[in-house]
Amino acid sequence: MTLKIRLARFGRRNAPFYNIVVAHARTARNSKPLEVIGTYDPMPKADPYDNSGRLHKDIQLDMLRAKYWIGVGAQPTDTMWRLLSMVGILEPKYRNQQPRTAPELPADIKKPEASSST
Amino acid sequence: MPPRIPTKPSASSASALVRSSFVSPCTSQCLPSCRAGFSTTPSRERSTILRRDFMMWLKTRGAKYRHPNPEGGPNYLASNTPFPLNPQFRSDRVLDEQARELIWEKVMKKGETLKAVSAELGVDLARVAAIVRLKEVEKDWISKGKRLATSYSKAILNMLPLKTFKPGVENRPLEAINEIHIHTATQKQLFWPTAESRQFTREDAAKAFHAKMLSADKRVPHPELIRMERDLLRDMSPDEARARFISAAEQSERQAAEKQRRKAMDEEQATKKVKTSRFEFRFKEVDSELVGKDGRAPNVVGWKYGMPHYDRKKGLVKIPTSVP
Repeated sequence: MTLKIRLARFGRRNAPFYNIVVAHARTARNSKPLEVIGTYDPMPKADPYDNSGRLHKDIQLDMLRAKYWIGVGAQPTDTMWRLLSMVGILEPKYRNQQPRTAPELPADIKKPEASSST
Repeated sequence: MPPRIPTKPSASSASALVRSSFVSPCTSQCLPSCRAGFSTTPSRERSTILRRDFMMWLKTRGAKYRHPNPEGGPNYLASNTPFPLNPQFRSDRVLDEQARELIWEKVMKKGETLKAVSAELGVDLARVAAIVRLKEVEKDWISKGKRLATSYSKAILNMLPLKTFKPGVENRPLEAINEIHIHTATQKQLFWPTAESRQFTREDAAKAFHAKMLSADKRVPHPELIRMERDLLRDMSPDEARARFISAAEQSERQAAEKQRRKAMDEEQATKKVKTSRFEFRFKEVDSELVGKDGRAPNVVGWKYGMPHYDRKKGLVKIPTSVP
């Protein structure tokens, strides 16, 4: 059966907390998995004594086991693919979110524009 | 609970309100009960024998307790204690504003170690640290123009016996500073047969209670003071012994700081930080195989399956117990 690397929701109402698990694809979300390889806390938190408004999310991950399970064909869900691509275990699935810069204009178009601006 | 009677239409209730406001002056106070109850007569003020006695006492002997003591200081019913039924109670002395300022100045301005200040003034090590932290907060607030509850602090300090320190002289200590917390492993009765010929030291006693327990000499807050006393017994001059104590305290403080720094650095190294447009994701490397064969080992990664989670159990402390 297909193996998945996915999230299992724990935590409380309005306070989600996820176990990162390796489980068979057809088993229930919170059923006992093959292995728990980490946790994901989706609630953004500020550092203590930091008033700058910067927030972070905490993830615990056993990278070695994650790599192993990817190696034997486990399929990460989209969310897990996103997280695993952040640490370089996988290639990012979606396009680069960085703001794109326009390609450079040909030289003959560039010149008159530069002269008009000055 | 008053009987549930359906409320009248708003117009009639308003007129009833106007009418009743002419009848009795208390209507504004008992408005909800007026709507539910049947009588609009205000109840008579209750005057029990006890209350009458109290009023009488307040006029005669108790007159001096109506207002604060004009000379300042506590105004106790019994001579020396805030609890008249517990004459044995004595409040511990608290440090006054001047003493706290002195401690802050020694640590933050003169750069003395916490241990040295604690030993010199006879103030518990944890108390010295707390005073410095709170003073820092206070000074931060003052610099930001925040208002302090000075009058409250004054009132509290007025009611308690105070202890002050004078700078530059030898002060009498506030409390015992080298006491050991009771280790739970030492609370059981223990019969430990040893040979009479064998020397049984504190180290051995600690080992007898628990394999990992440190001896009492090492668990005291100021092991350096013990060393200083030993130096004095060895006919070292007091000045030299004192200098050695201060350098030992500095050394131990430096070691503690280094340990803390190394811990933070290790944590930093084990964490990979990825910045996105909104949040920083912090990936911490863990070992998922520490859960053991049955996957039930405590304090390892992940919430456990088929095990109760005690985060809401009655009687457990749910607020943070340490400062980050």
